[in-house]
Amino acid sequence: MNEYESNTRQGRSDRGVLMRLLRYMRPYRQPLVGAFIMLGIATATDVLGPIIIKVFIDRYLQPRYFPRAPLLLLAGAYVGLLCITAIFNYLQVIAFQKTALKIIQTIRVEVFRKVQGLGLSFFDRTPAGSLVSRITNDTEAIQDLFMSVLSTFVQNIFLLIGIYISMFFLSARLAALCLILAPIIVLIMHVYRVLSTRIYHLSRQRLSLLNAKLNESLQGMYVIQAMRQERRLRREFGEINEGYRQARLRNIHVNALLLRPLIDVLYMVTLMVVLSFFGYQSLHVRVEIGVLYAFVNYLERFFEPINNMMVRLNSFQQAIVASTRVFELMDETTLAPIGNLETASSAPLVTEGRIEFRNVTFSYDGRTDVLRSISFVAESGQTVALVGHTGSGKSTIINLLMRFYEIDQGEIIIDGSSLQAFATPELRRRIGLVLQDPFLFVGDIRHNVRLGNTDISDADIEAAAQFVQADAFIRKLPNAYEEKVAERGAKFSAGQRQLLSFARTIALQPKVLVLDEATASVDTETEEAIQEALRKMRKGRTTIAIAHRLSTIQDADLILVLHQGEIVERGNHQELLTQRGLYHKMYLLQQGTGLRRTEAVQA
Amino acid sequence: MRVFLDLMWFFKMHKLRYLAGITLLMLVAILSLIPPHAVGVIIDDMQAKTLTSGVLVYWVLVLGATAAIIYVLRYLWRILLFGAAMQLAALLRERLYQHFTKLSPQFYHQNRIGDLMAHSTNDVQAIEQTATDGVLTLVDSITTGVVVIATMASTISWKLTLIALIPMPLMALATAHYGKLMHERFHKAQAAFADITEKTQENIAGVRVIKAFGQEDVETQSFADLSLDVVQKNIAVARIDALFDPTISLFVGVSYLLSVGFGAYFVTRGAMNIGSLTTFTLYLGQLIWPMLAFGWLFNIVERGRASNDRVRTLLAVKEDIVNRDGAIDRVPTGDISYDLHTFTYPHTTTPVLRDIHFDLAKGQTLGIVGRTGTGKTTLLKLLLREFDCTDGDISIGGDSIYRVTLDALRGAIAYVPQDHFLFSASIANNIAFARATAQMPEIQQAAKMAVIHDDIVRFPEGYATLVGERGVTLSGGQKQRLSIARALLMEAEILILDDSLSAVDAKTESMILEALRQERRNKTTLIATHRLSAVEQADLILVLEDGQIAERGTHDELMRQGGLYAAMYERQQLEVLVEHGGVSA
Repeated sequence: MNEYESNTRQGRSDRGVLMRLLRYMRPYRQPLVGAFIMLGIATATDVLGPIIIKVFIDRYLQPRYFPRAPLLLLAGAYVGLLCITAIFNYLQVIAFQKTALKIIQTIRVEVFRKVQGLGLSFFDRTPAGSLVSRITNDTEAIQDLFMSVLSTFVQNIFLLIGIYISMFFLSARLAALCLILAPIIVLIMHVYRVLSTRIYHLSRQRLSLLNAKLNESLQGMYVIQAMRQERRLRREFGEINEGYRQARLRNIHVNALLLRPLIDVLYMVTLMVVLSFFGYQSLHVRVEIGVLYAFVNYLERFFEPINNMMVRLNSFQQAIVASTRVFELMDETTLAPIGNLETASSAPLVTEGRIEFRNVTFSYDGRTDVLRSISFVAESGQTVALVGHTGSGKSTIINLLMRFYEIDQGEIIIDGSSLQAFATPELRRRIGLVLQDPFLFVGDIRHNVRLGNTDISDADIEAAAQFVQADAFIRKLPNAYEEKVAERGAKFSAGQRQLLSFARTIALQPKVLVLDEATASVDTETEEAIQEALRKMRKGRTTIAIAHRLSTIQDADLILVLHQGEIVERGNHQELLTQRGLYHKMYLLQQGTGLRRTEAVQA
Repeated sequence: MRVFLDLMWFFKMHKLRYLAGITLLMLVAILSLIPPHAVGVIIDDMQAKTLTSGVLVYWVLVLGATAAIIYVLRYLWRILLFGAAMQLAALLRERLYQHFTKLSPQFYHQNRIGDLMAHSTNDVQAIEQTATDGVLTLVDSITTGVVVIATMASTISWKLTLIALIPMPLMALATAHYGKLMHERFHKAQAAFADITEKTQENIAGVRVIKAFGQEDVETQSFADLSLDVVQKNIAVARIDALFDPTISLFVGVSYLLSVGFGAYFVTRGAMNIGSLTTFTLYLGQLIWPMLAFGWLFNIVERGRASNDRVRTLLAVKEDIVNRDGAIDRVPTGDISYDLHTFTYPHTTTPVLRDIHFDLAKGQTLGIVGRTGTGKTTLLKLLLREFDCTDGDISIGGDSIYRVTLDALRGAIAYVPQDHFLFSASIANNIAFARATAQMPEIQQAAKMAVIHDDIVRFPEGYATLVGERGVTLSGGQKQRLSIARALLMEAEILILDDSLSAVDAKTESMILEALRQERRNKTTLIATHRLSAVEQADLILVLEDGQIAERGTHDELMRQGGLYAAMYERQQLEVLVEHGGVSA
């Protein structure tokens, strides 16, 4: 692809992005029309000012004729116009800004909602930081486009038209002569846009290179120092730094050549034309000085809007880049598995909590299977424990049961119906997940237990907390259940965070419990509370538990030992111990005894 | 305004540039007086009917010449002043970077990289803005203001000048008041924006919980509420922001009215003519910008000062690992001897190492084992001088490591750190990191010793394959082996492997260790590890427990002792078994 082709393609897609952005204005047609009308009024009264002064000069000052009443009227009209202009300009700006902010709100919520609907596999491969900056910073850049770029263009174009109409009214011939300015201005703008876009991209590129180099150096400084490469790295950074400076210097050159200084030359040239026009005319006929005054006045104001628009061209480019990224996210296709959308009556319900995995095979990347032909049954109320080395596939089983991912082969059956047949809310309500890393939200304790389920009453929350042994420590907090939870629950211990997440799950009264046991060590007292809570929670509920400590699952009805995605041993604790296989060795290992090694190895 | 004094060192460094730039700015301000004057003269001549085509042509040509000169001058001062400020920014970044390379790991423990990045980018940018917009606004508004007002008062009418300027202080007051209101509201708007950023971060970090509890809609709703708050706070800002322009045009309009009204009075009294009046109003137009800019200046200067202070603080951080007085620049060689009574990290009180005494002859291999946090890494870092000994000494070849320069000491040591950091460059460049001039055969040789060569040639672009964010994703084991190859290419006498084989499998591990034994005869190796198989062949093994040497000896001696080491060894045999699914390998 040659450069021209890629440029035009870029241009076309930029236009597409702009059109898509502008479509968000549609619901605001009415307020926008109102804003345009106000802008029209303000512009009209604004450009009338010099005309009044022209009337004053030509009709009264030049002939030295000063009747009191008409002059006061004239002065009054001038002040009146000033006030109207000020008021309508104010209202017009507010109206535009409000609309712009609401449009951004729409875009933000839309992209946020979209992200909520994306599948976990999307989150697995997308760095959180970049996702956050799409939703916040990039939409902020779009806000800039609507609030300052577009409104500057609209307002200034109105003003230009207003001034031009007034000039036409003052002297049609001169105004017509001034029309040749239009193509010149458009040409300058075009040249500037083309040049500055290219340089702007170059300097952005070099800036990100500079930041990357700096970030990497700071992270790897210990390697740089241990390997004595400081001097080389300083030189490399120096080169990148200089490259960035050069790129920005080119930007300054283009700005200095084409922006305000050049527009000012244009002003002077126009002034020369106007003076020659009137001066030449005055050699033959009498000229109204007032007209010249007004004309010169308009000219002075004519070029300010053009300067304003030119300096916004860069932000325009930036906003388009940001919008492209936001729209990319909006068009993301890695959606979360969608549940049965039919009405609740036809979708199955979780009644008993019997769970069956039938020949389930799964792969995250479509290449390596992380689970192979997994089959097992958890009868209603039973506890099934999953044990195995890191990477053996325990967490994947839970991920599939939670329907975070769609299974490739086989079937998961709950109470006789396939997992896919359930409506998502039903699954979320009936299957309670307790994660290894209990995640707390900013808010208070109540909020963290209730989350968004408004049908959970305060009494339910306290009952749930009591049930999981969390009530005791919560009541000791200064504000008890209203105690604030900071970011990630920083001020609570690991054990307390776990108890809170238990309460959150229990408050929903789920039929099925999915436990991912924490590996983090907690103090003995809390540990006892946790174990007691887990025992109580499991009672009467089908439980699928990942166990890291074999001691906690000795009473499980079924223990599945996983190795490299397959079930290699199954049975209860005693059966597995007598098998003297992998489970037995893991058990020995956890007993913390190496001296029985001979026994284990011989087995 | 203190920041201008703080930056004086730079202004002085580029004295000519700044003097030239400021002179040009002033010239532009003076030349800008010509066009209004020309307009006035022509109008007067037109009115007096004395205008001739000669006069007209003369003034039009003057205007043309003025325009051309002003264009050139404006272009030049921009290049001079903006260019200088960019040089300032580049210089500050350069200094910060150089300073960063001199600071020890201690500094990087105490400062977050994100903050350091922010200082090197945002703060430098704010300082640059002070040096451009700040200087420009200060000079331009003062020059233009003084020149124009002086001209108005002296050449046209000082009375009219005073009258016309009456609304200006009021305008300044009003805009200053708005500025204060804006400031408060703007902060609130920013806080609201920070809220949605935090909300989004939390949401994405907690995505599993949110999905597990079906909270997607609730989350969206609460995001929408927060985002609505941002809208409202921003509308509050807009309500003030929108006041500026109308207020200014109102006051300016009144000022024009006063000028024309009283000017007309003076005209009828014969004190001035219409041409001068027109000139006068044109001058008035030139005054608006300096008035506004002056208010704006304070904002820039405020920001610049805070940023400059932060950068200066950062540059003032003392290097704590430095060459001792009289240190000689000779790469040390020979037996290594540790003689540490205690070692305590800076700003802490509990020693992490106690009574570490051992000797290692040149060419021997040392194994250091023990649980996480028992001081293995610290022991090695002391040799590298990432930290300095607090109570005791380490010597190489009989001389304290503090008697040679840092550079010489580090030249003797090849280090493979625990967290294998690779740079975003090609694989070849990463291996040749410590010796950028290394030839391809040497690089390949090092890669072969680290048993990574076969992996590399399988990559799409072989040794030219990029690693890091934009390149190929490497496994932990591959990164470790690259990191080893990188150290081997240094061909240093001492090799430190700090738990550097944890992610490679047992077979590869023994291949690497065998290669090291073959290729590194007569060279010293220090290995810290969790996996005992890596030190079975070591000449001396230290078992660390709570920062002390609990056991020492060779593998066979330690196994015979039947203590900690023997227990660890047996446990690991079992672990290996479990990892392999219970089948003996």
